[in-house]
This record gives sequence, C-alpha cells and structure tokens, in this order.
Amino acid sequence: MDFSLSDEERAIRDTARAFIRKEVVPLEAELLRRERAHQPGLRRDELRELQARARAFGFWGLATPAEYGGMDLPAVLQSLVWTEIGHTLVPFRFGGEADNILFYADAAQREEFLVPTIEGQRISCFAITEPGAGSDAANIKLSARRDGDDWVLNGEKTFITNGNDADFAIVVAVTDRDKGVRGGGTTAFLVDRAMGWRSEFIATMGEGGPASLVFEDVRVPHRNILGEVGQGFELGMKWIGKGRYIIPSHAVGIGERALRMAVDYAGTRETFGKKIGENQAIQWMLADAETELEAARWLILRAAWTVDQGLDARHASSMAKLYGAAMINKLVDRVMQIHGGMGYTRELPIERWYRQVRLLRIYEGTDEMQRLIIARDLLRGYTKIGGHLA
Amino acid sequence: MKIVVLVKQVPDSGAERNLRADDNSVDRASANNVINEMDEYAIEEALRLQEAHGGEVTVLTMGPDRATESIRKALSMGPDGAVHVLDDALPGTDYLGTSRVLAAAIGTLSPDLVICGAEATDARGQVMAHMLAERLGFAALTGARKLTVEGAQLTVERQTEEGYEVVTAATPAVVSVWDTINEPRYPSFKGIMAAKKKPVDTKSLADLGVSADQVGWGGSATTVLSHSKRPARSAGVKVTDSGEGGVALVDYLSSEKFV
Ligand SMILES: Cc1cc2nc3c(=O)[nH]c(=O)nc-3n(C[C@H](O)[C@H](O)[C@H](O)COP(=O)(O)OP(=O)(O)OC[C@H]3O[C@@H](n4cnc5c(N)ncnc54)[C@H](O)[C@@H]3O)c2cc1C
Ligand SMILES: Cc1cc2nc3c(=O)[nH]c(=O)nc-3n(C[C@H](O)[C@H](O)[C@H](O)COP(=O)(O)OP(=O)(O)OC[C@H]3O[C@@H](n4cnc5c(N)ncnc54)[C@H](O)[C@@H]3O)c2cc1C
Repeated sequence: MDFSLSDEERAIRDTARAFIRKEVVPLEAELLRRERAHQPGLRRDELRELQARARAFGFWGLATPAEYGGMDLPAVLQSLVWTEIGHTLVPFRFGGEADNILFYADAAQREEFLVPTIEGQRISCFAITEPGAGSDAANIKLSARRDGDDWVLNGEKTFITNGNDADFAIVVAVTDRDKGVRGGGTTAFLVDRAMGWRSEFIATMGEGGPASLVFEDVRVPHRNILGEVGQGFELGMKWIGKGRYIIPSHAVGIGERALRMAVDYAGTRETFGKKIGENQAIQWMLADAETELEAARWLILRAAWTVDQGLDARHASSMAKLYGAAMINKLVDRVMQIHGGMGYTRELPIERWYRQVRLLRIYEGTDEMQRLIIARDLLRGYTKIGGHLA
Repeated sequence: MKIVVLVKQVPDSGAERNLRADDNSVDRASANNVINEMDEYAIEEALRLQEAHGGEVTVLTMGPDRATESIRKALSMGPDGAVHVLDDALPGTDYLGTSRVLAAAIGTLSPDLVICGAEATDARGQVMAHMLAERLGFAALTGARKLTVEGAQLTVERQTEEGYEVVTAATPAVVSVWDTINEPRYPSFKGIMAAKKKPVDTKSLADLGVSADQVGWGGSATTVLSHSKRPARSAGVKVTDSGEGGVALVDYLSSEKFV
C-alpha cells in the first residue's frame, strides 16, 4: 500500500501551490477590504485574468478532456489541486471548466454552450432545487409542456449558485408527470436567460449568494434538450455526484491553513505567564483538529481513487462529503476558540471561514442525505463493511 | 548555444533549517528540500536564451539520491536533459571539492555558457561561479541582473551595492545571476508530464575522473568546527507615544542607519 505521490502528482500539486501562493494569496487583503465594504471580493474580470495567467502554463480545465484543451486530470489529482485552492480565501478556481453534464451536449449544443463555458465566455448555472424540493429532489414541480417544436417552462428554482450571473441555466423540469421523476419523467434543458427567465438574489450568511430563478411561460426549443427526454434526474444526480469529493477536498485546504494559524497562535500567545499552547486544553484541540483533518483527507482521496478505478464512488463520496464537511466546521470552530476574541474579529479570516463552511453541511446533499445514502447502501447490502478491501 | 545550468537542492529557506549536531553539516534529511531559489532564475535565463538563439540546455546537479526530485522539477520547466553527479564519497564536500566535481562534469559537456545562481540559500557562499571559472579557464561574469548575448559576445549588468557595472566577455563563460534578472516561469503541465521522459545521466566520481580522496570529509580543505543557534531576538525598543512618538521613531531609525 503506497500513500505517497508520484513525481508528476507532486509536481502538479507543487505548481498549483506556488501559483496560489504567489499570484492569488496576495489579493486577500484587498478581497477582505472589499467584502467589508459589501462589494464582490473578486470581480469576474480579475478572476479571468488570473485564470489566463495559469492557462499560459497549461493549468486549465482540471477535469476537461484534452480535446477541449483541458488537463483531464484523474480525480485524485483534481482533489489535490482543490486542496491547494483551499489555502486561499480568494474564490479562485482554475479556468477551462464546465459542468460535467454539459459534456452530454450534442454537436450543436457543444458549440453553443459547452465550448464558450469552458472558454469563460458564457456562465452556466445548474438548477434542480425548488422551494418545495431540496433533499427530496424527486419532488420537483417545474414543468415543461410540449408545444410544437418548443417546450414551455413554468415554475421556480431556488438556491441556484451562479444564478445571478449566469447567462444560461441547465434546468431539470418535469416533462411527464405520470412516469414520475425517477421513472424517466424529467428532462434537462439548456435555457438562455434571453429566453425569459429572471433571477432574484438571495442573501445568505456567506459572501455572495445564490438566486431563485423564475420561469413564466419560458419557451425553449426542442433542440435545447440536454441528453435525452426523460434523462433529467439521472443527469442531475451525475452533476451532484462530482461535487461530493471536490467540496471536501477544498475544505481540507481551508483546514490546513486554519490549523497552521492556530498552531502559530498557540505558540506565541501568552496568558498567565506562559504560551497558551502549553495548556493541555489547547493541545487537545490541536490534536483533535489534525486527526480529523487527516481522517477526512484519506476518506476523500479514497473516494477520488474509487472514481479513478472506474468503480461506483457514490458510497465513498458520501462518506467523504459527510465527514469532510463536519471536520471543517469543527476545525474552524476550534481555531476560532484558540484565537479567543481575535478569532471573532474581522481582522482575521476565521469568522469568514466560519460563515463559509457552514454551507458545506447543507448543499449538494445535506449531512442527513449523505447518512441516508450510506445507511441505505449498508442495509440493502449494496456495499460491504470494509469498502473495497472487504 | 550549449548551456549548462547548475541546480542545487537545498533545504526550503521558508521553513526551519538546522545544522547537524554530529558533523556540523546541513541537516537535509529532516528538511523539505527544494531547488535553490536563485537557480530557478538561472534556469529561466537559460531557457530564454535557448528560445532566442536555439541550442540545448542541460541541468547539472551534484547531490544525493533525493536531488532527483529537484532535477525533475527543473526539467519540467523546459531544459532538454540533466546530469546528476551521485556518489557515496560526496557527503561532506566543501566549496573547493564541489567546484572540482562540477568543473569535471562541465568539462564532459563542453558548453558555451554555464549559468548558476549567485548564491545558494543554504551555505550562501557566493563563490561557486568564480571557482568554476578558474578551474575551467572560462570568463567569470558574476552577480548578473541582466544578460545579453550577441554571437560569442556576452554582456552583463553586474549588480552592486551602489548600482551596476557593465561587464563583457566572450564565451565560454560562467554567469551567476540574482533574482532581479527575470521572473521564472511555472513548470508547465506539458513540461511536468514530459519531464520523466527526459534523459538524466547519472555520473559517479570515477566517470568524471575525480578520485574519492579529493572530495568528502577527508578531501575538504575547510572544516566546520562548531556551530550555535542564532540568539533569540531581543525584545526591541518600545517607544511610548506621549506626543513625541514620531520624533523618537525617526531618531531610532536614523541611529540604526535605516533612514
Ligand atoms: C448557497 C447554496 C447554494 C446552492 N446551490 C445550488 C445549485 O447550484 N443548484 C441546485 O439545484 N441547488 C442548490 N442548492 C440547494 C441545496 O442543494 C439544498 O438547499 C439542499 O439540498 C437542501 O434542501 P432544502 O434546502 O430544501 O432542505 P430540506 O430538504 O427542506 O431539508 C431541511 C432539513 O431536513 C433534513 N431532512 C430532509 N429530509 C430528511 C430525511 N428524509 N431524513 C432526515 N432528515 C431529512 C435535511 O437534511 C435538512 O436538515 C444550494 C443551496 C445553498 C444554500
Ligand atoms: C555550515 C556548512 C555546512 C555544510 N554542510 C554540507 C553537507 O552536509 N553536505 C555537503 O555536500 N556540503 C556541505 N557544505 C558545503 C556547501 O553546501 C557546498 O560547498 C555547496 O555545494 C557550494 O556552496 P554554495 O552552494 O554556498 O555555493 P554558492 O557559490 O553560494 O552557489 C552558487 C551556485 O552554484 C551552484 N551550485 C552550488 N552547489 C552546487 C551543487 N552541489 N550542484 C549544482 N550546482 C551547485 C548553484 O547554481 C548555486 O546557486 C556545507 C557548508 C557549510 C558552510
């Protein structure tokens, strides 16, 4: 059993690390200043400029196939790079990416939606959640009714990331109520904003926010169906499946940086005539934080490895998402505790992480939904105790 | 133009570094070992010359087994191949010995130009370029912040405390560079994937015709007798501002010759 990185893996990881440290981290002070003034921390043109700089040395499209100019990295490497990205507060991501399900597009749609999204000329959002259907995504109601060569969409989506900026949405709609959502009754549509949907900003405890999308008699041509009629829910689950190891990979990066801050602070801050790190109470917080960080790291890398093996990664990914999200919430809480009053101020990024990471237990499958998947798989005998080694 | 770039693996200067208690040598085993920062600038300069004038860039390293990692990293930036001088007799080699070995290796490559860092962040000798030039009979153009090549004519702006000097020489030459000379590129994704396939020629002392008693602890002209930790930083000067704070600060800064 070899837990080390190959030379290539290390080199790619180190290059991402150097770029983040040299080009992205220096923007943090300005980011925090803007956010405190209720402005976007990083403008889209600034993000694109950073992405172009990384593209110059080939860091572009982590998951994108080479034929679209991407790196086409294995999941393990994608995970490692996302951990590096987590080291900065700046909402940076390497460019050249598109929603994984956009690759189901046909030739014409690839030209119209996929390629421009990869190139950063178009911005997508993915919409399945509705006011009445979140965890219970199979309960969606937004309907698409066939009318000649068009489909007419009516309903509302909510909590849609990028929904404020997107110029097109991938919308999962009910096309055949009788078949039911899981029985092939839903279809995914590529819907330009110009076709008539509107978005409304939703303020959250995080920076920026998602949007609700309102569809009132929005006409969408039949050629804008993504994949097949009836394939909507299946594509939706594929979209969500991807995030389940990427999200906690990012969290591990946040954890590494936050824990480093706590270790440094414990070694310098003095109370009662000694360093606070000399108290067992503080030491145990550090010990637990690191132990859980490592446990999460290996659960996540195992999930990514499972993807790379071509095995069904659902179970492993659910564990990675569940544990990774819990880990980072506890870790940031401990790091704040170790920093005392300073941790609560906006002088330091800890309160920002505190607000940011709470989301990870909610979106792309709540903690409870991950547990539901894990327990169901076990009870049905779909997975074995002991995972792939069993 | 045939260029050899010297690349030394050193302990990361961003982290805690130590000397070993037993033999006063740099503790490399416990350190995170990286390419000497200044050598990245040397690689970049070599690659820019290659892009402008064609030719071949070879990385040369003397170092232990794990220096392979740094060689691969250097190759991922773009050089064509590398020579790794690896020999059990090498640990403990001092400046003179190192320059003997590197000069012998450079001799087998017959380059027009050798580019190295102005100093390594571990020993900070700032001597290697001069020693190599002397041994090889090459011109020494050291401490460059700018290098221009026209045919066989080299011109450098040599960085000094006060400004810079313009120095010229003909090839073959050894040029050492400061971090003001360029901005090193990131290893490219393609470069990283290609690095493994590039040739790395491992040479022993015997291959280079250097005998083991000219290197190592025994062959060194210098010996580090003892070392001690840098004393902890003193508490510093506290200025209480009772209206005069600004003046006190300026007085302090000028007494320390900062202003
Ligand atoms: C910032 C943000 C961004 C988002 N981005 C997107 C996006 O881009 N696209 C998109 O489609 N959606 C997005 N979402 C929606 C997100 O996926 C849902 O909020 C999430 O799935 C939970 O659904 P809900 O909010 O309706 O909660 P509910 O489903 O109403 O759940 C409420 C609570 O009940 C629990 N619960 C529900 N059912 C059960 C059960 N059977 N057993 C035990 N507990 C249960 C849940 O775990 C939760 O704790 C986003 C949400 C947020 C907050
Ligand atoms: C306290 C102390 C402890 C030491 N411990 C050790 C030890 O444990 N083991 C050991 O081998 N030596 C040891 N040395 C010797 C020293 O590290 C070598 O002599 C070194 O290779 C040359 O010195 P430098 O890097 O400071 O040269 P500099 O003149 O500062 O280096 C200039 C440039 O020369 C090139 N260069 C230097 N060395 C190499 C190399 N090996 N390969 C390729 N290019 C190179 C690089 O491009 C570098 O940027 C020690 C020296 C001191 C003072």
